[in-house]
Amino acid sequence: MARTEEYQLNVGPVHPSTHGVLRFVLTMDGETIKDTEMVLGQLHRGIEKIAESRSYLQFIPYTDRLDYISGMTNNYGFTKAVEDLAGITVPKKAEYLRVFVMELNRIVNHLVCIGSLLLDLGAATMIIYGFRERHKVLDLFESLCGARMTFNYIRPGGVRGDIPEGFIDNAKEFLRDMPKRIGDYAQLINDNEIVHMRMKGVGMLSPEDAINYGVTGPMLRGSGVSYDIRKDDPYSVYEELDFKACTRPECDTYARYIVRMDEMYESLYIAEQALDKIEHLSGSVNTHFPRIFTPPEGEVYSRIEAPKGELGFYIASDGGTRPYRVKIRSPPFCSLQALPQMVEGLKIPDLVAAFGIVDIALGDVDR
Amino acid sequence: MSIQSELKTRFNDAVIEVYVQKDGKPGVVVAPESLAEVCRFLHDSGFDHLSLISGTDRVEWLEVIYHIWSYTRKENVVLKVKLDRDKPVVDSVASVWRGANWMERETYDLVGIRFNGHPNLRRILLPDPWEGHPLRRDYDMSVDQYVYIDEDGKDVVTTDASKLLREEALHGKN
Repeated sequence: MARTEEYQLNVGPVHPSTHGVLRFVLTMDGETIKDTEMVLGQLHRGIEKIAESRSYLQFIPYTDRLDYISGMTNNYGFTKAVEDLAGITVPKKAEYLRVFVMELNRIVNHLVCIGSLLLDLGAATMIIYGFRERHKVLDLFESLCGARMTFNYIRPGGVRGDIPEGFIDNAKEFLRDMPKRIGDYAQLINDNEIVHMRMKGVGMLSPEDAINYGVTGPMLRGSGVSYDIRKDDPYSVYEELDFKACTRPECDTYARYIVRMDEMYESLYIAEQALDKIEHLSGSVNTHFPRIFTPPEGEVYSRIEAPKGELGFYIASDGGTRPYRVKIRSPPFCSLQALPQMVEGLKIPDLVAAFGIVDIALGDVDR
Repeated sequence: MSIQSELKTRFNDAVIEVYVQKDGKPGVVVAPESLAEVCRFLHDSGFDHLSLISGTDRVEWLEVIYHIWSYTRKENVVLKVKLDRDKPVVDSVASVWRGANWMERETYDLVGIRFNGHPNLRRILLPDPWEGHPLRRDYDMSVDQYVYIDEDGKDVVTTDASKLLREEALHGKN
């Protein structure tokens, strides 16, 4: 009888399927994964330490560099914590603008996630299409704030600037075209036999385990738990908007993929409603925010539904101009912990699929 | 009944103080030795999502803060333990919420709090031989630590930059 011996296999840190610099140390039995260990920290920049020596406004550009694919939601996550701390209320128009850019950012994030996942699985088409639509969104963002990746747009008290001329028309054109594009992607991918073979039944995670591991966002909803912070612990103006949380009960990689596709439609629908409000509301997009800002003493923890899951900022203030402590709850850092269980007993190519759909940005994991 | 009074009735002596966080979340300061018991109780009564573990250096003491959310009750609760600076040890809750594993490792790594009974308490973001815990208030920021890989492939941390290949670049010598 053939005898097998366990061995360790190193993947990464520089490997195309790790989406950055993450290292896996796999314990293998033949071709079967028995245990997965992840070595993090290659992109650790000490952002929480940096926060202690920056003022509240100065820290916002650093949040862009956490999850560098969805800078807008990171901006808002920190901004919301500061606003909760100081009790700042924001004009309605600014809130709708925030929701609008955050939902477009969600679409961008899901396009990049699905595109790079399929690239890892050997289908190079989707990432080209995904980036084509991503550029249209980035053009919109650039006209708003001048940047395409590191926005620094949402800030305490409102947003940096009002919409420029022609923005509404460009945004409407995008919202009109995009559903058809998502339909195209669905036609390409959803019923593809290879996609089914690679993703269905791979990376199973039961709802109980998902909750226990602290998995959030599309990963959790792909395990059949209908939970969305925008709905269940609402913030900003989400209560006034009509949308639904997308869930799938299958608990596998394919379910998480479908959740992301459905969420893009929902995001478009939310963005449409927000744009309608932006068009008809007038007035300022800023309240006065003092240049030397000293919030009251105290602690807050505020969380939002970022594209990748629950993004939380804990701020402890001592009443000074700089935060005493900032702690970031990054969604992929928590979701990654479930990966060893998801891939146990699978083969290495399945690891690529199960890991790709976790949707991580190493800037967010390592901070 | 609010969760604060629920905890107060059940764990009378273990609840040192109740407070309200600036954003309205109910907070409870718990005695470190009963933390694991309180967490187990909270988990079993529906607080199934551990959002965040964070550690703060308050100079006179160290504290660990647990932000917990219940999917079923849609309620928040914040637990806080205050630890002696000389002996910052608290029980691990990784057996209650498996998601606590990495968060506790990170708190150990950056703030230097030890978690009793943790399955794998090693540094997670910094290399294993790193000196000090950067988020402590007394961490010396003026000392640069360099990491290189020795012949066995292990991370080695040194304050001596001459070990690095980039010595000239670092010191501006040509």
